[in-house]
Amino acid sequence: MTSNTHTGTTVTIFFEDGRKFNDQRDIKLNVNAIKTADASAVVKCGNTTVVCGIKLELAKPKAEEPDVGFLVTNVELLPLCSSKFRPGPPSDHAQVISNIVSDIVTNSKCINLKDLCIVPDKLSWVLYCDMVCMDYDGSVVDACLITLMSSLKTLLLPSVSFDVETEEIKVDTTIKTPLPVNGLPIATSFAVYQQLSRSVILTDPTAYEEEMCGGLGANLIACWNKGQLCGVFKFGGSNLSTENEKETLALAKQKSKLVEKVINICIENKS
Amino acid sequence: MGQKDDIYQNFQLRPMKCELNFLSRSDGSAILSQGETVVTVSVNGPLDIKTTSQSIEKATLEILFSSKGGKPSVADRFKENVIRQTCETAILGCLYPRTGITITIQELEDYGGLLSCAINCACLALLNSGISLHHVVAAVSCIVDETGNIVLEPEYQQVQSAATKLYFVFDSRDKNLVTGFTEGAVGEDMYLEALEKCRAASDLVFNFYRDVVTKYSNVI
Repeated sequence: MTSNTHTGTTVTIFFEDGRKFNDQRDIKLNVNAIKTADASAVVKCGNTTVVCGIKLELAKPKAEEPDVGFLVTNVELLPLCSSKFRPGPPSDHAQVISNIVSDIVTNSKCINLKDLCIVPDKLSWVLYCDMVCMDYDGSVVDACLITLMSSLKTLLLPSVSFDVETEEIKVDTTIKTPLPVNGLPIATSFAVYQQLSRSVILTDPTAYEEEMCGGLGANLIACWNKGQLCGVFKFGGSNLSTENEKETLALAKQKSKLVEKVINICIENKS
Repeated sequence: MGQKDDIYQNFQLRPMKCELNFLSRSDGSAILSQGETVVTVSVNGPLDIKTTSQSIEKATLEILFSSKGGKPSVADRFKENVIRQTCETAILGCLYPRTGITITIQELEDYGGLLSCAINCACLALLNSGISLHHVVAAVSCIVDETGNIVLEPEYQQVQSAATKLYFVFDSRDKNLVTGFTEGAVGEDMYLEALEKCRAASDLVFNFYRDVVTKYSNVI
């Protein structure tokens, strides 16, 4: 927000990098970036970089839910990505981001966990989805969801035969079926900047802008999936009026359609 | 106005009961029950803290959430974050630079709406401690049931069976949204309707705060 352009009576204020307030940063997406993972993707939203890798494992389902598989998501914010994070056990912020991402995935019901079950009460898939942040420059939840969803969409499950009597497991990696993904939840972050009595909504804020608007974790995150809201998170920061809230929801809806297109085109071009 | 009034009428929150100064050794404390959910909060501050965690601009807020089981989990960190961010907007932290304010929350009973009860109780404890605040905050939770009705401050069984849960926190000045988050999918119209209902219902919570404070500070 360094440059002010005065044109007559209206004042147009831009972001530090020349964007308008409701513009988002460019997205660069690459699927199947890690060959050793079962599915993976790297995304860059501006400078924010997140890598996601999915590892498949087999396990016995829980006794109370015998026909349900497991989807384990985890977000890591290493000291590499920002000076704010220290080495050691996951910071509070990393745990909160992890929680938000897994909440969105569960709430959107984009993966039916019953699809992950192979033989009820005997065998099911475990999807370990690890997201590692390489560069923390704001709006990390958005980036995490883009990589996670692109990885899930490209994931192929090998066919497994299970002998009930001998309990022998045979995995055939030559026959692979894609995992059914229902919809595509897309999150959009907003920072609310309090300017005297009026508040300004910044779409897709960078780390510097987040800092100006209440610090780590004060973003408003709205997540759309198939025309439904599957998560609206706002924790403190500047207060928000109803008009602003409606504005953010509309912007998020618009962005979700755009990002959905980006993901679909990227996956099509790869295959 | 007629139609607007209709929307805001006929709602009730679960009965709230509160005692301030519940703990004798903390700077401010409160115990609050909303329905059968019970939480106690103790506030200590402004205190001396380590130089590394001091901020020259404002007081550093430390939140400790202890669940009934006592075992810390990722979900507790999430709750702490919600409460920290909410209280940070309410507290006039710039009056207490280079100090720390500690808020300890102990869950006693959880029959739904634990987090909104915890936020309301934290707010009452802050009022009791005499720490300067921008505004007070009121948390209201609601669910959308199978038939698409919005139920404010639901009972335990309703919470268990609900597909969608929404939590909102409003400030006392302009009734603007301070904190809000959802569990489960919801349509936009339903979300906005729930937001408005909860906003109207937050008045009941603010009135309750006023009653409690009047009772305890009979001089004002």
